[in-house]
Amino acid sequence: MPDTVSIDWYVALSIILFTIGAMGVLLRRNAIVVFMSVEMMLNSANLAFVAFSRYLGDLDGQVLTFFVITVAAAEVAVGLALIVTIFRTKQSINIDDINTMKG
Amino acid sequence: MEGAFGFAPLLLVFPAVGVLFNTFAGRRLVQADRKTGEMYSGWFASLMAFSAFLVAVVLLFSLRGHDFHAEVVTLFDWFNVPSANFHIPWAIQVDTLSVTMMLVVTGVGTLIHIYAIGYMHGDPGFHRFFAYLNLFLFFMLILVSGSTYLMLFVGWEGVGLCSYLLIGFWFDRQNEEGKAMNADAGRKAFVVNRVGDFAMVLAMILLFWTFKSLDFGTIFSGAVELFEAGHGVELFGMEMSVGAVLTAVTFLFLLGAAGKSAQIPFYVWLPDAMAGPTPVSALIHAATMVTAGVYLMVRSNVLLEIARESTRLGVEGANVLGLASPDWIALTGAATAVLAGLIAFTQFDIKKVLAYSTVSQLGFMVAAAGMGAYVAAMFHLITHAFFKALLFLSSGSVIHGMEHGHHHLHEHSHGHDAHHEEEKFDPQDMRTMGGLRSKMPTTFAVYMVGSLALAGIFPLAGFWSKDEILAHASANHGTVFTVVYWMLTIAAFCTAFYMGRQIKMVFFGAPRHEAAKHASESPPLMTTPLIVLAALAVLGGLLNFPFFGESAFETAEETHNFGIFLGLEHWLEHSIPTFELTTEGIVQMPHTPTWLQLSVAGISTVLALAALGASIFVVYRNRPQTADERDPLQSTPIWWFAILPFEWFYMHTVVPAFKGSARWLAEVLDGAFWHDFVHNNVVRDLFVGFAKFSATVLDANGVDGLVNGSGRFVRYVGSVVRKTQTGYARNYALGVFLGTVLLLAYFIFAN
Amino acid sequence: MGNPIVFFILALIAIASALGMLASRNAIYSALFLVLNFVTIAVLYLVLNAPFMAVVQVTVYAGAIMVLFLFVIMLLGAERSGSRTEGLRDWEWILAGFLGAVLIIVFLTNLVMNPSAVGDTAPFIDTSPAALGLRLFEAYVFPFELTGVLLLAAMIGVVVLGRRKKMAQLEKGGNDA
Repeated sequence: MPDTVSIDWYVALSIILFTIGAMGVLLRRNAIVVFMSVEMMLNSANLAFVAFSRYLGDLDGQVLTFFVITVAAAEVAVGLALIVTIFRTKQSINIDDINTMKG
Repeated sequence: MEGAFGFAPLLLVFPAVGVLFNTFAGRRLVQADRKTGEMYSGWFASLMAFSAFLVAVVLLFSLRGHDFHAEVVTLFDWFNVPSANFHIPWAIQVDTLSVTMMLVVTGVGTLIHIYAIGYMHGDPGFHRFFAYLNLFLFFMLILVSGSTYLMLFVGWEGVGLCSYLLIGFWFDRQNEEGKAMNADAGRKAFVVNRVGDFAMVLAMILLFWTFKSLDFGTIFSGAVELFEAGHGVELFGMEMSVGAVLTAVTFLFLLGAAGKSAQIPFYVWLPDAMAGPTPVSALIHAATMVTAGVYLMVRSNVLLEIARESTRLGVEGANVLGLASPDWIALTGAATAVLAGLIAFTQFDIKKVLAYSTVSQLGFMVAAAGMGAYVAAMFHLITHAFFKALLFLSSGSVIHGMEHGHHHLHEHSHGHDAHHEEEKFDPQDMRTMGGLRSKMPTTFAVYMVGSLALAGIFPLAGFWSKDEILAHASANHGTVFTVVYWMLTIAAFCTAFYMGRQIKMVFFGAPRHEAAKHASESPPLMTTPLIVLAALAVLGGLLNFPFFGESAFETAEETHNFGIFLGLEHWLEHSIPTFELTTEGIVQMPHTPTWLQLSVAGISTVLALAALGASIFVVYRNRPQTADERDPLQSTPIWWFAILPFEWFYMHTVVPAFKGSARWLAEVLDGAFWHDFVHNNVVRDLFVGFAKFSATVLDANGVDGLVNGSGRFVRYVGSVVRKTQTGYARNYALGVFLGTVLLLAYFIFAN
Repeated sequence: MGNPIVFFILALIAIASALGMLASRNAIYSALFLVLNFVTIAVLYLVLNAPFMAVVQVTVYAGAIMVLFLFVIMLLGAERSGSRTEGLRDWEWILAGFLGAVLIIVFLTNLVMNPSAVGDTAPFIDTSPAALGLRLFEAYVFPFELTGVLLLAAMIGVVVLGRRKKMAQLEKGGNDA
């Protein structure tokens, strides 16, 4: 066993977490859980950024992560407000109840 | 191109715009809001007429600045078949003659447009009326401005169409017998004109064969050249002299003009044409369209003079029953003038009197043109346009007033005898009028001006122009001229007499009907054009003011250079080149007196005054007192003469003959050439077969299949694709995810 | 880039907590699993020589954001909104699972086929908050300002969306009409 892990392993972990997040988005009904899955996907991307930052010796990866976290915070705030509003009108946060775009 | 001749096409554009406006926007405007709609519709049409008038004025000044030389503005090529040397441009000829006609047509036309806004108020076909009026102006301007006989003919037929449309304007009105007499009158006018138009076509064909052109300039110069050289032309496989051809052509022109300008034997349509609205009678059937025949004669003056000269020189074939065709023209005009003047005695309809008067005055013009007094013909045409338009419009005002009085009567009648009031009332019947002088003062004043001008009382316009024709007739020697002179003098007497009768019956005496008692003056919109026309009728004589006595002749020569007096004479000189022919010595023009002939003027004035006096103070002094009283003339031979069945005669001779020849052409001649057979069995059946094939096979399966199929295809695709739009966010997310995976896979494996 | 044993333990915890979030019926459990996941990743940040990001990850994500999530779940009482997958059609299951599998397999295969050299790592760099701050305000001033505007907009949006009074008025007006 080598004494240090290669970048490949971080990328692999990032992909696995991303896929699990995507599965959450695709398969779960609960709007809040869907949202959490999105956060997970963002996190997996962040992990990749930081790993590459270390790998390449460049600080930009961390700066980008910083921005992603900021935007994610804003997104969560608005998203949760939307969910609250939808819950008020529909008395439900099941995303299947929101299908006004049905053709 | 010098001057503003480039504006000439606008002359036709403005009325065309008016037609389009009233065709497409007029109906909506009028239906949306009656009052403002009528305002827009009527005033727009009037504005277009006035704009055309302004263009004509611009052209007038352009000619002035161009030393009066004619200018031809070519718009586009109409026909051009180089192999057959057949080339007809669509061109506007701007010369003094056409500009004169343009000014009369658009000037009088504008006034009548404005008058019609008041007269047609409330009519359901208001916008249609103005569309027709503008259409008429359009065609009339084509007629007078065309530079070829074919273009003239286009206008000629176009105004005929407008005449038909406007005579039958109230085509749905029926008389007591349930006959649509207005529509019938329109049809009659159209059918009667067919005969004359057929003659026109024949004349044009002859001209084209002879000169290989229909252009005015080419034909005239070609005719002079051929005549000078004494060459003949090849026609029908034999050599014919120019004189003979032109005699035939001008005689055919006489027939054509007789149709359009209501001469014997075709005059029968004009009195019936009075069924149209009064502004139409004034514009089309008095001032402009009916003078087209006179314009044709004046325009073709070269041909007429060559025909006359050929007869004088005794060229073989250059006469019709021993007389030159211009002589026939003069005699026809004079005979018409007398006949129509006599018939006018017997009419009770206010407009029919004026209609026969118009026929009579047109006879004067045609006679003048036939005698070679082209300027006099044009002069009388212009002054006649002024005072006859004035008279018609005034009679319209009278009718309007009578109808108003009748309505007034109805409103005040009580319910129980409303049925009784339904008795027949004709607002145009002079027997029901009388005493309108005090009820309608403005109308009375202008009517008097118009009547006196028509009767030829000094110093109104009609005196000068009529006198010029009479002077011309008396100043030339020859049996024809003498006969024409006396006939026209009699006609002038008749004119004054029936006008006196009309004034007496309409305006003087006591009212003979309740409606006449309650008649009222027309609105200012109608009376203002009347006053303008009255001023023109008074001052029109100044256009061609003759000199008194022989001694003034030298002065005339002098002033010629300044172009002040005898304005029309010198103005038209530039378009009537017979004067030039005279100096070359090949054609002798009839002597044209440029000064007043005191004897002629004296005789005609005395006769006119005598006739007026006789009618007002002798024959109709106290009568008629009631509407049912017999006319005092009814027991005299004049009456019997006037109601001779000319019309019956016409309808049972000329019309069947024309019909018969047409049928013969259609059946016998056509059958002989297997023309119909080819048409029916080859052309038609092939065409029908192909049409059926394309309708049932090509169209139903091919075109319809394509069109419907594409629609069905789109619908099917839509119904399938629609299912993908579930509205579930996760399905969309799945789509996005699918795309992401595919993209990533691509990037990874692409390397 | 870290001791393999430490990495594998952390990676296992991260994957397990992620699957736990995915599979939990109760939204509160999901949220707690997610917190665990975030903390694990924060530790990985430390291993990767990013101490500041690790701290931010814990305070902002695991702290603020997840607290907000939990707060909303409890506010709405929506922790048990239905089963995990009810209403899902078969094809959705299959397609999603297939795509996920494809994604993982494709990437992993790629990684196995083209491995990076183990020792191919850049030397340590200064990742102190001061260095990060300098980089942020030197090279990324404009995006930083934009982010500030974005946060402001989000804040206003949340305030507008969250106004219950207005909604009540609208509903009332709707009833009247």
